[in-house]
Amino acid sequence: MPTITIDGKSIEVEKGTTLLAAAQKLGIYIPRYCYHPKLSISGNCRMCLVEVEKAPKLLTACSTEAAEGMVVRTTSDKVKAARRDVLEYLLINHPLDCPICDQAGECGLQDYYMDYSLARSRFSMADKVRREKRRPIGPNLVLDNERCILCTRCVRFCSEVTKTSELEVMNRGDHSYIDLKEGKALDNGYSLNIADICPVGAFTSRDFRFKQRVWFLKRTKTVCLGCATGCLVEAHHNENVIYRLVPDPNPETNTWLCDHGRLTYKALQAGDRLKKGVIKNGLIELEPALREAATRIDEARGAVAVMGSPWLSIEDNAALARLARDSVKTGDYCFDFNFEQGIKDGILINKDQAPNTAGVRPVKAAYGGISMGELAGRIASGKIKLLLTEARAAALLKDALKDSGTRVVVFAANRGEIPAGAYATLPYAAYFETPGTFINYQGLRRRTTPPVAAPEGVKPLWDVVNKLASYSGASLGLDSGDDALKGISF
Amino acid sequence: MAFKLSEEFKAKADKICARYPRRDAALIPLLLELQKETGYVAEEGMDALAAFLGLPYSRVKAVVTFYTMFNREPSGKYHLQVCRNISCHMAGAEGLLARLSSKLGIAEGETTKDGLFTLSAVECLGACGSAPVMQVNEKYFENLTGEKLDALLDDLRHNRVMPR
Ligand code: SF4
Ligand code: SF4
Ligand code: FES
Ligand code: FES
Repeated sequence: MPTITIDGKSIEVEKGTTLLAAAQKLGIYIPRYCYHPKLSISGNCRMCLVEVEKAPKLLTACSTEAAEGMVVRTTSDKVKAARRDVLEYLLINHPLDCPICDQAGECGLQDYYMDYSLARSRFSMADKVRREKRRPIGPNLVLDNERCILCTRCVRFCSEVTKTSELEVMNRGDHSYIDLKEGKALDNGYSLNIADICPVGAFTSRDFRFKQRVWFLKRTKTVCLGCATGCLVEAHHNENVIYRLVPDPNPETNTWLCDHGRLTYKALQAGDRLKKGVIKNGLIELEPALREAATRIDEARGAVAVMGSPWLSIEDNAALARLARDSVKTGDYCFDFNFEQGIKDGILINKDQAPNTAGVRPVKAAYGGISMGELAGRIASGKIKLLLTEARAAALLKDALKDSGTRVVVFAANRGEIPAGAYATLPYAAYFETPGTFINYQGLRRRTTPPVAAPEGVKPLWDVVNKLASYSGASLGLDSGDDALKGISF
Repeated sequence: MAFKLSEEFKAKADKICARYPRRDAALIPLLLELQKETGYVAEEGMDALAAFLGLPYSRVKAVVTFYTMFNREPSGKYHLQVCRNISCHMAGAEGLLARLSSKLGIAEGETTKDGLFTLSAVECLGACGSAPVMQVNEKYFENLTGEKLDALLDDLRHNRVMPR
């Protein structure tokens, strides 16, 4: 375990630790472009040069391993001059795009220029190397080759993380540029991570481009509910609109995000987002929709079944269990979901597309209920007149429901989720609009924090359930999501 | 894809691969072999070679575009490769390029209509001591001047130099 000194502070580090990592441990920041903690070391950008005593030249901190007794300086005049020079080189051919560049405000060139350079360019605008701009590369990305600083993070991401190797540096010297096979799209299921790790405005997200200047965005840490992996994310939003999701890297679950999960927020803004109830195929106001559903439930009393959903939070599932047991007073309720879980592609995407299969288990443990097979059997044999559940869960009973004559009342956030033939649909506050507790495939409990509010009048599902119960004359007394969690241990 | 590596090529390639600890290390010698067959490395050739070596296509393309010795299109009978790197640049390479371009009526990267000349600018040819330098096919012409260049073009046109 070598002990080294950086800027007068000493630290003992594991063998193999780089100077950059050691400095980080001491709270000393060394600027970097090509270095990324989850990619192989490339050492091409030279932004991380530091002075090491007795070394004849400056060394790259990202690729130099700490050795016993090293004395490192990160703020000497030599280092400062090197940083200025590196930036000058990188900017020789860089276009003057900041005012029209989507990266502005979170750009490695802008930030380091302000921190380490502030020098005037000695090169004329007219001599800059011109390259292809605004080039759509696949469904999610736009590439501006003029802005690229050739750090190769994108190249390494595609070869090391997705192992699809689409990108490479073509040509050489100042003729170099990033490219992929002609006619091919960059669409590997994780492509938007490239917009995150590109330190400049070369790769930008087609979805996010020009929607919002980054300095207007507020950040809320929450959970992606695109599948059972349950990646931690940061939602960037402003004035009740989410503009993008980015990963909130953590050692347990994720460094990256898949493209599917990253774009799940768009359901909130989709044209089919439900703000009213639906009876058969017509939209109706929330109150009458609720009353209609309550009336139908009362009417079918004795033959009502309730099913939870692995797409709902523990709170919402628990509220449904309470409704079944204490208000509808039926034994025909089911919280029995056994989807196979595990990472499907060796990266992040889970075999289980539902986010809360593991979280429904404690609800089942507390309330019991019948199995999925039993419920399907009872529906198919015509014993169930009305089924109340969440829209995507209803699809699990598609076969049993066919020709059973069962009236289906579902909760849905988007119209597209509603199963064909549903009698009534009640909207509820979706993933990014209300707090909820989920358990991912690793058994980790994750609570979502809503970055935005639900459309006016649209309430969390437990609240809608509470109302349904009171319309049917039995109060569940749920004043919060936490009330629903009472009696459940997880 | 219509393009296929010939059995002959594959047999030769296997031998070349065997010289290296890793199969993919044979990429450059194999590209040279491929270029020998048709005078250039076509897109389909890169695809086929990538599959043959178990490399991503992008890697092969990166190598082909890095080295100016690989042609990606059929070139003229004489491939004029003017060095534009620092030593040659300072010894007047730019003027030579411009002269060739105007004499032949083609820009960098183009081939004359009669199929005789292709003009390229390339990186250091490793003969800085006798800059400016131009490589024609595999042969070097050094210490060039405008007059020497004109004479050389004439000789080439009349088949007076260049064994091949
Ligand atoms: S990449 Fe950065 S420096 Fe370049 S134009 Fe965009 S904001 Fe400006
Ligand atoms: S596109 Fe971005 S990530 Fe890729 S090499 Fe250029 S600057 Fe680096
Ligand atoms: S971060 Fe060290 S060379 Fe790029
Ligand atoms: S610079 Fe032309 S041969 Fe070296």
